[in-house]
Amino acid sequence: MDSSKSSGETTINITESRSTKGKAAAATAPPTIVATTKAIEPQKGGWKKGVAIFDFILRLCAITAALAAAATMGTTDQTLPFFTQFFQFQASYDDLPAFSFFLIAMAIASGYLVLSLPFSIVCIVRPHAAGPRLLLLIFDTVMVALTIAAASAAAAIVYLAHNGNSNTNWNAICQQFTDFCQRVSGAVVASFVAAVIFMFLIVLSGFALRKH
Amino acid sequence: MKASGALELGEAPKGSTPKSVANRGISILDFILRLIAIIGTLGSAIAMGTTDETLPFVTQFNRFRAKYDDLPMFTFFVVANSIVSAYLVLSLALSIFHILRSGAKGSRIILIFFDTAMLVLLTAGASAAAAIVYLAHKGNAKANWFAICQQFNSFCERISGALIGSFGGILVFVLLILLSAVALSRR
Repeated sequence: MDSSKSSGETTINITESRSTKGKAAAATAPPTIVATTKAIEPQKGGWKKGVAIFDFILRLCAITAALAAAATMGTTDQTLPFFTQFFQFQASYDDLPAFSFFLIAMAIASGYLVLSLPFSIVCIVRPHAAGPRLLLLIFDTVMVALTIAAASAAAAIVYLAHNGNSNTNWNAICQQFTDFCQRVSGAVVASFVAAVIFMFLIVLSGFALRKH
Repeated sequence: MKASGALELGEAPKGSTPKSVANRGISILDFILRLIAIIGTLGSAIAMGTTDETLPFVTQFNRFRAKYDDLPMFTFFVVANSIVSAYLVLSLALSIFHILRSGAKGSRIILIFFDTAMLVLLTAGASAAAAIVYLAHKGNAKANWFAICQQFNSFCERISGALIGSFGGILVFVLLILLSAVALSRR
C-alpha cells in the first residue's frame, strides 16, 4: 500500500492477494484496485472563519450606529422660549414625515441587525455553509437600500432646513431651531455610517461565498 | 502501480452539467435585467432633466418658472441616474463575459462590489428626490413651506413620473446582486 500526496489527493492501492498455491503458472498480475479520494483540508476554512468574525464585529458596530441614529432622531423636541397668542414655536421629528420615515426605517434596520447576529455566529461556527451567508447577503442588500433611502430623504430635508430654497420660497428653519437642526444632522450622519457598514458587510459576504 | 483493470473514481467532466447550464441561465438573466435597468434609469434621468414649465402670467418681482435645477436634490437625481446608466452600459460587457465563461469568480466579486455601490448611489438620488416631490405635493404647515404643485401642475407630474423608473432600477439592482451571489455560491 503506497500513498502519494499531491494537492490533497490520496491514492490507495489495494492489492488483492490470492492464494497461489494451486496455480503456479498464472503469470498475470493480481488485479489492483485504485481508489482516489480528495482529502478535506480543514485549514482552508481559516480565512473564511476570519471573514465571519470580522462580519460579526461589523454588525455590532452597525447596531450602535443605527440605534444612535434612531434614538437621536426620536428624542428631538425643541421649544423656542417665545410664543405668540396663536403659535407655539415647537419643532419635533414628527412635524416632517421624512423624519418619521427615517425613525421607522432605522428602527427596522437596528432590529434586523440584532436578529441577524445568530446567523452571523452560525457562519463563524460553520465557515463552509453557504446557506446562512446567502440569506444574510440577501437581507443585507434589502436593508442597505432601506437605510440609504431613509438617510438621504432625511438629508434632503436637512439640507433644505439649513439652506432654504429661494425659487420655491421655502425658508431655512435652522436659523430659528438651531438645536433641533444639530440633532437631526447628527442622526443623518450616523445613519450614513450604518449604511457604509452595510456595504462592507455585503461585499464581505460575497467574498466569503466563493467555493474553491 | 496501476494494472489494466484499474478502477478509478473521479469527477465528471465539466461542460454540460446541469449546474453549468443553470449558471449560464443566471448569467443570461443578469444580462436581461441590466438592459431593463438601463432603460429605467436613463428614462428617469431624461424625464427629470427635460422639465421646464413656465406659467402664463408674470408679475414684476417673481418669475413663475420651474426647472429641475431649481432644486439641488433634483440635480443630484439627474446626475446619479446618469452615472448609474453609464455604469450599467459598461457592465454589459462584463455580463456578456460571464455568459461565455461561467466560471469566473473574481470578476463576479468585482461586479457585486460595484453593483452595491451603484445601488447605494441610485437609492440616495431617488429617495432625496422623492422627499422633495412629497414636499412639493403636500407642503409643510409647520415649516411654512408651500406646496408648489398647486401652481406647477405639469412640472409636478413630470418629477413624480421620473421617480418610477428610478425605483424600478433599485429593484433590479437588488435582484442583480442576489443573482451574482447565487452564481458565486453554486460553483
